[in-house]
Amino acid sequence: MVMNIDIAKKVIKAAIKQAQEMDRLCSVAIVDDRGFLVALHRMDRAPIPTVDIARDKAWTASTFRMPSSDIGKFGDPSTPGFGFNTQNWNDRLTTIPGGLPINDGDEVIGGVGVSGGTPEEDVSVCRAALATVFASD
Amino acid sequence: MKEITLEMAEKMLEAAERWAALAGYPSSIAVVDKAGAVIAMHRMDGAGPMTTDISINKAFSAVYSGAPTLMLARMIDPRMMGETLGSGGLGLLTQARLRLMFIPGGNPIRDGDMKVIGGIGCSGIPAGVGEISDTTAVQAGYAAIYEEYD
Repeated sequence: MVMNIDIAKKVIKAAIKQAQEMDRLCSVAIVDDRGFLVALHRMDRAPIPTVDIARDKAWTASTFRMPSSDIGKFGDPSTPGFGFNTQNWNDRLTTIPGGLPINDGDEVIGGVGVSGGTPEEDVSVCRAALATVFASD
Repeated sequence: MKEITLEMAEKMLEAAERWAALAGYPSSIAVVDKAGAVIAMHRMDGAGPMTTDISINKAFSAVYSGAPTLMLARMIDPRMMGETLGSGGLGLLTQARLRLMFIPGGNPIRDGDMKVIGGIGCSGIPAGVGEISDTTAVQAGYAAIYEEYD
């Protein structure tokens, strides 16, 4: 399975539904397995900066093949990979929770990023969206 | 119609996507609000990664300048020197932290009072192929919310 616009729309629709239930205004971004944007929606009256934050979270999750919250561990000097925060990651790297890779088995096919609530809320919106879309497959 | 909602943006994207599919060129289409911030962006299957940012920046440029990007293209065209913006047209190139697009395919969306309330941009359809272009795709996009104009 590869990322396409239909999957992206489904994930975004599920995420926005979940955000509405939680009474939050969010942006949701979907990227493909190379980190390139596929679809991006901002809910009415959601703050403008959430657009780019959501996109950055999705990029980070997809290209590093890990939740964006895990990136923070590279700030620990005893961790292999320490110091990579000093590189210029195309201005896109973020450590804020709320970006999750989208998996098909072992394969990462893309990433989803949500921004608008607290980091914990963003993560639960991501999880709920992915669970809704991929549960039936 | 005071502002563009996500629902309206999705309707516009759908219409523009149908147009692009008809033309046979997968494209990216973006709708932005009156601040130039993205409301919705779709990259159709098969459209190149570069088209995403181009479509967003076209829509942004249309809002920022209040004119179609086709007009911006004319302004920096060396053949138009001395006509549209005097001899200073190329000064536009450095504006908006290099986010201004000078490729046709971005149009502002106006309300009944001719106030700019948003923009729509499309990238992926080659220009000069028949009667279909990025500009006609965005026109199909905002025609889709015609009944909401007042």
